Amino acid sequence: MPVIEVTDINKSFGETQVLKDINFTVKKGDFYGLFGPNGAGKTTLLRIITGQLAPDKGEALTMGVSSSDPMGVKRLVGIVPEAETPPTFLTARETLELTCRIRHVDDLGRVDEWLRFFDITDKADVLCRDISKGQRQKVMLASAFIHEPEILLVDEPFINLDPIYQRKVREYLRGLVSEGRTVFMCTHILEIAEKLCTQIAVINEGRIVSSGSMDELRVGDEDLEDIFLRVVEQPAVA
Amino acid sequence: MIFILTAVCAFITPYIMGNIELSTILLMLHVASVIYGVFVGGFGRIGEHVMTRRLGQVNMLLQLPQQYPVSFKQVMAVFYLKDSLYYLVYSYIPLVMGVGLAAPSAGVSYRGVGVLGVTMFLAFMMGMGLSFALSALSLKSRRGTFLLSCIIFSLILLVYPLDLIPAGVVLPPLGYWASKNTGYLLISVVQSAVLASAGVLFMKERFELRQQRYTESFLSAETKLGFMGELKTMLAKEWLELVRSGSLFPAITGYSGHLLAIYFVSWLFQAGFGLPISFNVIFFSGFVGFMGVMTYSFLTNLEHNEYLNVVPVSVDMVVKSKLSIYLLLTSGITVGYVVLIGLLKGQMSMVPMGLIVSASTSLFVVAVTAYLTGLWTNTMFFGAKTILKFTAIVVPPLTVIEIASMMLQFRPQAATQVIYGSSLILFIAAALIFNRLEAKWRGTSFSYVSTGV
Repeated sequence: MPVIEVTDINKSFGETQVLKDINFTVKKGDFYGLFGPNGAGKTTLLRIITGQLAPDKGEALTMGVSSSDPMGVKRLVGIVPEAETPPTFLTARETLELTCRIRHVDDLGRVDEWLRFFDITDKADVLCRDISKGQRQKVMLASAFIHEPEILLVDEPFINLDPIYQRKVREYLRGLVSEGRTVFMCTHILEIAEKLCTQIAVINEGRIVSSGSMDELRVGDEDLEDIFLRVVEQPAVA
Repeated sequence: MIFILTAVCAFITPYIMGNIELSTILLMLHVASVIYGVFVGGFGRIGEHVMTRRLGQVNMLLQLPQQYPVSFKQVMAVFYLKDSLYYLVYSYIPLVMGVGLAAPSAGVSYRGVGVLGVTMFLAFMMGMGLSFALSALSLKSRRGTFLLSCIIFSLILLVYPLDLIPAGVVLPPLGYWASKNTGYLLISVVQSAVLASAGVLFMKERFELRQQRYTESFLSAETKLGFMGELKTMLAKEWLELVRSGSLFPAITGYSGHLLAIYFVSWLFQAGFGLPISFNVIFFSGFVGFMGVMTYSFLTNLEHNEYLNVVPVSVDMVVKSKLSIYLLLTSGITVGYVVLIGLLKGQMSMVPMGLIVSASTSLFVVAVTAYLTGLWTNTMFFGAKTILKFTAIVVPPLTVIEIASMMLQFRPQAATQVIYGSSLILFIAAALIFNRLEAKWRGTSFSYVSTGV
């Protein structure tokens, strides 16, 4: 059974259609990467899947739960949004405690584990407003990981992270997938995505222009950047 | 709205002048303009706080000079000029037009209306300049702010109640009306310019951001709020935000200050101007509901809530948390207020009824506000459709209660039935509205632009 099923999603903002006839599925154990130029519709699509936005047409199901039930979807998944926006007036520690409480995670020892993982223990009692962007991103990542969800939906997870933590997060996500969990990722950092993704889709001007595994899409000895540049210059396929 | 209100007031001016002297009316109008200007200037400061909270780390006012070759002084000067122009067009021109419309029937010349508009606007500019100066000074020197505040307060005392200097010395536009000497208008312009310039010059150019540390408090706050059941987790978050953002004191003083201001204004009308109006405890209790709108709105602007898009929390849950915080904050103040009014007016027998009225109006008005606007109460202030709906729903029952409060001395039995009956209806309506909050707001996202209204 697919863990994410997107069927005929269409979305417009005013007169601008940002998503057109989006169809794809993500199977259990996939590391699915969605790539596209700026403004292609990646974040909008992710927000529709997580129920933050309603599509004009079509449906998105996550483990059988429709995006029209955002609470139901959010209970099942971990989400890392594009912008790092933890609560302004809570500390890093309190943000993770809040997440545990909301997600009914009884083991609060995980809070310290994730603070240590991201090496922000010394910032644990600082307001999220006063820590750096990279540290806020770590708090958002920890919040998404702390309840050990079966599916992670991550939008630019490596942004603002230094290479040490890019690698740590990369290895963590790879480990999740090897355990049979699923990751759906949007990113511009193709070098990282190439090492991780088992399935990819390229979105351009609101349409999926190419999808499949790296081997299926590669022509010759292309890398992911070559594939990406080639397909975004092609007209959209139905 | 201003045009209509001022036209109505101008039409009834001949009747008002039968009870109040022209000099008193002019005093009230110009003092009100100064206070209006003070609030507008203060709102700029408060608005900056709101923008900081709503947009998290992004502070619109602080970011501009940090990224562009623009100084904070320039930004402050532009804000002052922008606000001056905005309120001239938004408030004072409609005011002059409204009064002008009624001028022939009110027996006032058009020239007089024009001059009144000018003097009131000058008074407004003085108030706004004062507020800007104090706001900027408060960022630099608390001692300086205290000193300036003492000077202003002393000058006011010298006018009233000590009556040692004429009001025109402190408020030059009034000096013009007393003597028809246009020199006072010039002094007023200079005074406004000096205050505005001081505000610009006092403005800091460098802001140091401190890293604030807090001992972990979320879990203990959640435990203490355990009596709130399922809401305790979100309430603990709301409480910490309220305290740590420095908003607790302003929320309490804003709510209680407005309630006291209503009583003060009524006292001014009765004792100061000798108007034969007697407002009782029930009248003041009914006003509690209106104050709830402002406090609820303030509470919805503490935090941006973007984080909640990624956890299984819905807008209706946060709305209920905000309402709970509102009730926790204001209930004690409301009870104290009603009892205080009862004591001051010697109407302690009316206090139980007053408590019922204050509870019913408060719950009803804040429920309607939450239903119509969710977490985006500012739409009420800037969305005509929403404010019309709010007015249509809230004003009639509150008007009925206020009129019934005034009828208590003439037809006590009937008035009592109307008051209790209306309160019961408001309680039931509030309960129904609370129950519909989930259906209204559950599917809405927390993003800045509301999709629910």
